[in-house]
Amino acid sequence: MSTPASTAKRSGSAAVAAGPTAAERLTSLMPVLALAVLVVALAAADPDFLRRSSLMAVVDAAAPLAVLAAGATLVVLCGGIDLSIAALASLSSVLLALWLPGLDALAWPAVVAVAAVAGALQGAAHVFLRIPSFIVTLGGMSVFSSIALVVSGAATVPVVDDTSIRWGFSRVLGTVPSAAVVAVVVVAVLALIVKVTPLDSSIKATGYSEAAARLAGIPVDLVKIGAFCVSGACAGLAAVLLVARTFSGGPTLADSLLLPAVAAIVIGGTAITGGHGGVWRTVVGALVVTLLRVGLSIVGVSAAYESILYGAIIVVAVALTLDRSKVLVVK
Amino acid sequence: MSARPEAGPQPGTSAPPVLEVRGLVKTYPGVTALDGVDLQVRRNEVLGLAGENGAGKSTLLKALVGLVRPDAGEIHVRGERVRLRSVEDAADHGIGMVFQEQSLVPNLTAAENIVLGSEGPGVRRGFYRWATMRRLAQEQLDKIGSTIDPLARTDSLTFAERQMVEIAKVLRIEQRTHDTPVIILDEPTSVLEPGEIETLFEQVRRLREFASVIFVSHRLDEVLDVCDRVYVLRGGRAAGEIRPADAEPGQLHRMMIGSTAPEDHYHGGAAAPPATSRQPLLTVRGLTGTAFRDVDLDVGAGEIVAVVGVHGSGREELCKALFGAVATSAGEVALDGRKLSLTSPRAACAAGVGYVPAERKTEGMVGPMSVADNMTLAKQRVRCAGPVVVPKRQADVVDSWIRRLSIRTPGRRTAIGRLSGGNQQKVVLARWLVGGDVRLLLLDHPTRGLDVGARSEVYRLMRELAGNGVATLLLADSLEEAIGMADRVVVMSDGRVVAEVPCPADGKPSPLDLVKEMV
Repeated sequence: MSTPASTAKRSGSAAVAAGPTAAERLTSLMPVLALAVLVVALAAADPDFLRRSSLMAVVDAAAPLAVLAAGATLVVLCGGIDLSIAALASLSSVLLALWLPGLDALAWPAVVAVAAVAGALQGAAHVFLRIPSFIVTLGGMSVFSSIALVVSGAATVPVVDDTSIRWGFSRVLGTVPSAAVVAVVVVAVLALIVKVTPLDSSIKATGYSEAAARLAGIPVDLVKIGAFCVSGACAGLAAVLLVARTFSGGPTLADSLLLPAVAAIVIGGTAITGGHGGVWRTVVGALVVTLLRVGLSIVGVSAAYESILYGAIIVVAVALTLDRSKVLVVK
Repeated sequence: MSARPEAGPQPGTSAPPVLEVRGLVKTYPGVTALDGVDLQVRRNEVLGLAGENGAGKSTLLKALVGLVRPDAGEIHVRGERVRLRSVEDAADHGIGMVFQEQSLVPNLTAAENIVLGSEGPGVRRGFYRWATMRRLAQEQLDKIGSTIDPLARTDSLTFAERQMVEIAKVLRIEQRTHDTPVIILDEPTSVLEPGEIETLFEQVRRLREFASVIFVSHRLDEVLDVCDRVYVLRGGRAAGEIRPADAEPGQLHRMMIGSTAPEDHYHGGAAAPPATSRQPLLTVRGLTGTAFRDVDLDVGAGEIVAVVGVHGSGREELCKALFGAVATSAGEVALDGRKLSLTSPRAACAAGVGYVPAERKTEGMVGPMSVADNMTLAKQRVRCAGPVVVPKRQADVVDSWIRRLSIRTPGRRTAIGRLSGGNQQKVVLARWLVGGDVRLLLLDHPTRGLDVGARSEVYRLMRELAGNGVATLLLADSLEEAIGMADRVVVMSDGRVVAEVPCPADGKPSPLDLVKEMV
């Protein structure tokens, strides 16, 4: 065996590779590849799947999940996690159903605002009390669930007049589900704001290395509270989409979306340890999760098995994307 | 992965060396860390390993304790070829390492730490036998002549004491081989203060009585001081062997970097600072925090002030406090006559204060982010028009600083983690320069872990900045560095400023003068 590149080391930094390696590129394309494979597989299993109506149905079903998960993605990028999103969306759905008769067109902005405040409060608790976000939002999840039960009287709240939120469940140009348009617009706005402002490096630096970010003068606390605030607002907006399609708000309406949302984030390739990832990736993740669910029913697997799938997906996706150099001791 | 069955045996030596390495090769993607290293460790000698960062020192050590599997080459222990697969494996062959970052469990006693993992008779039927364990630990401590109380909690010990505990712990491998063990000390002096270093040297000489020692350091004077023989590594190869008796640092230095050392390491004479008309830019009055009290300090524009002191003198905390990173309870700080808010690093940044932390990898830079993003992290406005990032603007600013500081990087988009330590540090320094508004630089061990060439460049940069009127507060890596760089040295002890020593280019004090004040 000869010794290749034996002089490379001497020249020091000049020898380092410039960009990501082929393997890294492949890993980063993995979510899109997974999506493509799923589409092909489903089309093979059921040729009807490629019809426009069924494709649109999938996109429509994925929209609330994508909105919910996109907000939480920002929290994950900052190195935290928001486990309260589903419970907060349930609570928001109840509030929306209760407020629609009185506030009418102002009801949904009010709900989104309340959810944003709820998120910001959790962020503030996490930052100022120095409690892990995991614990804060686990507590938040429990609190929001309970409030939802109390204010709804533990029952579904029907919506009689849904005129002011009908935009959340209709068709654009006759075919495209409006919920999907809402999801794309929300994600695009979030992505654009992050991309064109210094927020991009602030969020990433916070997620990769909070200590370094703080010592570079980045307002780490504000960035994190902001991320939780957006996460809350997205939960509120997801609730609006859900109420628009079910004509009701329910204290557990969105609860089952927590695992799929976390799955969407990690399948998209956002690192659970923070720093690496993005909101568009989560949209891909949400589509993959939705397709898997659709696929199970096409193949004829009972819906009772779904949670097994989500649980396994989360573990596998994190196993594939985890930056182990950053996690010294796994707890 | 298979070994290279070449490199025949070395005849002629009567007693086989305790440890012999032949043609060791280790390649990482894009880098050859070890390029055929040969090395012999004899019985009861202190072998020095010197080399620049990236010369392959740490890879070699890791190979010796089974943390890295070499691609080719052989390791022989007492004449017998071995394959080391783990630290445990290496210990079975009598090779142990005292790691640079300490590996003790802080909330256990010294005794528990010493026997941890090799309890032997200290545990019976799954239960600790405290008396036996304590006796075993005491034996180890006696062996190195240490007076540390084995029942002291490890986190109550000083850094130097913990190091002694580690050495005592590593020496437990003696029983496994019943032969001279090989003890590796990886940069043992890097965080010790001068007095402690002397104690460590005595320890090393004592170790030689019953062990072979591999002593790794980037400080040439130390290697020459304590070692019987010195191997110089360069570019993954053994560049040569030196006997300290007939060598001087200059020769070693040339071997390490492969060229002549610059005569004036600190560039002291080059840019003699204008000693006149220095009204203080930074004034600190009665500053008090948890680790320091009533600190008064002035730093003039264009002046470099070094703060020296032993571990626990409070100088690190003072430096952090001036950047708003740790809390203060009393005192006034003004920059250029204006009161400086010490509430957050952000406020300090805005006021024109820059801070280079000692822990470059965890606090100084964001490893996976690009050179460009790291460089503009603190002064986002240089790449923005209003609230919007203008990539062209960022590219221009970053590229011009890459050129000005001759930062060796494939490009501004390269992740900073891929650069060498010296170039990383230059990016971290540039972070405060891109804004053009830095008045005060707080440099906490800015040359820690850098090789000789990179240090020299950092020194030149510091001089240049001082020449431009930047006030610098320096926590130096060594007394020599403090004396070489500073215009004035402030000595801290027990959280108080105890002395101020002028340090002009033509009248430098000796390290001894400063040590007297420090203790």
